[in-house]
Amino acid sequence: MTAAILDGIVLGLQFGILGVGLTIMYGLGGVLNLAYGSMAVVAAVVVSFSMRSGLPAGLAVLLGILTAAGIGLALNLTILKPVYRRQGEARVLLSLILTIGVAFIIDGFLVWRFPIEVLSLSIGGNPVLILGVPMRTGSLLASAITLLTGGALIFFFRATVTGRAVRSVIQDEVGAQLCGVNPATTRTLIFTLSGALVGLVVVMQSMTSPVPISAGFEITILALIVTVVGGLGSIRGAMLAGLILGVVHAMSSFYIGSYITTIILLAAAAFTILLRPSGLFGKHA
Amino acid sequence: MTTEDVNSVSGTSGVLRGRRKDRRVSNLVALTSIAVAGIVLALLPIWIGDSRSHMSVAISGLLFVCYAIAFNLIFGSTGQLFLAVGALAGVGAYASAIISDRLGVPFPLAMMLATGLSMLIGGGFSWIAVRRSLDIIFTGIVTLVFSLAFDNILLGQRDLTGGETGLVVEAGSDTFLRQQIPPYYVFLGLVLIYLVGYVLLHSSHIGWAFRALRDDRMAAELTGIDVSRYRIYAGVIGGGMLGLAGALWAHVEGFISPATFTFIHVDVPVLLMVVFGGLGMLMGPVIGSAFFTYMGEVLAAFSHLRLIGEGTMLIVLFLLLPKGILGALRSGASGLRRRRQTSKR
Amino acid sequence: MLEISDLSAGYDSKDVVLGVSIDVREGEVVAIIGSNGAGKTTFLKAVCGLLPVSAGEVRYEGRSITDLAIHEIARAGISFVPAGRHLFPEMTVAENLGLGAYPHRPEAGQQSVVFDLFPRLAERRRQAAGTMSGGEQQMLAVGRALMSRPRLLILDEPTAGLAPKLAAQAYESLAALRTQGMTILVAEQQVPLVLSLADRGYVMETGAIQLQGSAAELRDNPTVRRAYLGVA
Repeated sequence: MTAAILDGIVLGLQFGILGVGLTIMYGLGGVLNLAYGSMAVVAAVVVSFSMRSGLPAGLAVLLGILTAAGIGLALNLTILKPVYRRQGEARVLLSLILTIGVAFIIDGFLVWRFPIEVLSLSIGGNPVLILGVPMRTGSLLASAITLLTGGALIFFFRATVTGRAVRSVIQDEVGAQLCGVNPATTRTLIFTLSGALVGLVVVMQSMTSPVPISAGFEITILALIVTVVGGLGSIRGAMLAGLILGVVHAMSSFYIGSYITTIILLAAAAFTILLRPSGLFGKHA
Repeated sequence: MTTEDVNSVSGTSGVLRGRRKDRRVSNLVALTSIAVAGIVLALLPIWIGDSRSHMSVAISGLLFVCYAIAFNLIFGSTGQLFLAVGALAGVGAYASAIISDRLGVPFPLAMMLATGLSMLIGGGFSWIAVRRSLDIIFTGIVTLVFSLAFDNILLGQRDLTGGETGLVVEAGSDTFLRQQIPPYYVFLGLVLIYLVGYVLLHSSHIGWAFRALRDDRMAAELTGIDVSRYRIYAGVIGGGMLGLAGALWAHVEGFISPATFTFIHVDVPVLLMVVFGGLGMLMGPVIGSAFFTYMGEVLAAFSHLRLIGEGTMLIVLFLLLPKGILGALRSGASGLRRRRQTSKR
Repeated sequence: MLEISDLSAGYDSKDVVLGVSIDVREGEVVAIIGSNGAGKTTFLKAVCGLLPVSAGEVRYEGRSITDLAIHEIARAGISFVPAGRHLFPEMTVAENLGLGAYPHRPEAGQQSVVFDLFPRLAERRRQAAGTMSGGEQQMLAVGRALMSRPRLLILDEPTAGLAPKLAAQAYESLAALRTQGMTILVAEQQVPLVLSLADRGYVMETGAIQLQGSAAELRDNPTVRRAYLGVA
């Protein structure tokens, strides 16, 4: 029971970070990035291959995260350019379709080049007891990094000038511009950050359980569920929804089984849309 | 979309909206093109009829035409983004297989029941979308979520669905549906019925509302068209078309598995086909499906690159050819006509 | 300080403002008056980069800012308070003010200048902007605009939607800013109020300047008296 809750909180933070990465892109650029998870799998592949070629783990992880960040940046500067020329619903729709295209290209490439690859970062050592629960070094490290990243994100959005500028663009783009904020620069920054976040989460996950090469779409859907439950565009909502769904996920897979768990998560997203389309903290009805 | 785009996309509708005589003429054009397509497709087995594998590819091509017509009706005509095309067909297929094999119901009756179930679910989506006034994106997300949940249920309920390994469908095995060529004509018949149905729908008062809806939803609401009712009609009819096609496929193929109905294997290719042919155009689905089925065969040696190819096509199509082949031809033609008129003046 | 020559602007290739020229000298308060739909808002939006300029030029301190983006104009030292205010509804008063100083950290000194001008904002420091009254939001919008220590303040209908007493208060605050030497360009329908503050004024109708002069001249002009001051 304690183990499930502890697991759930760490998992929830990961879900939260995953959701934040997707939701800021929606809030800022009106873009629903369905290539989100695929970007992260590329990061995991890079980590796995650089470690195999003898790079120290820390450096390999950094390289992987930078790769995902680079893909985010590249998407923003290339394929999403025509998307920004549209407004409102047409913009979201086009972004959704173009990024499905990107996801197909990335997934297709990965499955073609590395058909049976499973990515896992094994970090050895004996289990350590935390609150009477034995934890492996890998998952401890992952939890620590996750907690740190969650904290850093909250600090960034609450307390830094740049973080507040990002939130200002989400809340009122013209208002932000009147204050001297350049939305295009902010967007570039956020898409890079978004790539880094999803890369980080997936690398963390590969420390505790193996990530299959074809997991991209599933990760995207998971992030989408968190984002929808939290309210599209709401950073606070994504964090909270991530935590709740993480605990639900851990408890439910502990007591019921993983197949029902997936259905529960999907149902959570569906019911959120039906009952409260703006999500937990969303601003638009 | 600029006003010019809208005008060229709805080129036929402008004609249809006109006097009754014009409508009759354009119906004639539509029915003629259906007849031509029907004849060409009916002759196809002369060339490929002796190859079992070619015939099964052709049948699956026709299956996708059915999917694409339904999607064209739901998304093209009423702007509802249903990302559960595969799932609705899967509902029909699994329901019909289970009802006939498990409950011993004769399979034609089972197919009808299964179709009814898909109609119910399709209409249900539209009803929910209308009641909760969901926009395109949220409708897309809700239906996508349904699709994924359906896939999970298929995988999880092993004793009923056979899980990942799939389900052998007994019902229909002793009929002509399992022969080499007859099922092709059954599917062709279904395609022709769907196409004629599409034309009839669009030339009736429902079609008038559909076009108004597609061109300008606000204006449609203002002129007193009950937008929600027509959306639900489209959801019910489209859902039924998908369910029936899926159910028929189950009895023809004799085997179904979750992979046959996933978002990635059905919805994305259908979106590609419809947009390639021309969204909201009668023959768009036929042209799109024919093109992609043919390309799939020609490029069979590169099937490991299929996903990459589809992803690239999706991007290229939406950026360069958003009105599809037919749309591009039509605006090209009307551009020529306009130029000729101005030069005459 | 600000010279605008022959500026035309509008929406979707249909110009609403047709060849307007005005200038604002340092330390002046200049009013643009006119009825609803005269083109005042379109004009100010075009000057501040919110709408594209279709013809003409905007020069600020000797250099052309005609084609600059909104944020570039803001960083050049012009603060614009649009009629729609464009506050950040889910942020607190303090956070809104903080963003006014972007890209720098807000200075405590400048924040106390704003709080001196609008003591109400100091009381509401931790309240979310979206939950405040219209008058308070207007104060916050002006306050936010002042946080960057602008050299020129442009306001579009600062009294829109305010009760008469609040409108008068808003102009008292602007008068206080004027004594501190702030240059102000303001578009306004409440003509008596704005002419009591301004040094000079322009009358805009159907997208063009019909009349200009000192505030006193405009107050005495029979046309202005008839159309805007309600004197027969």
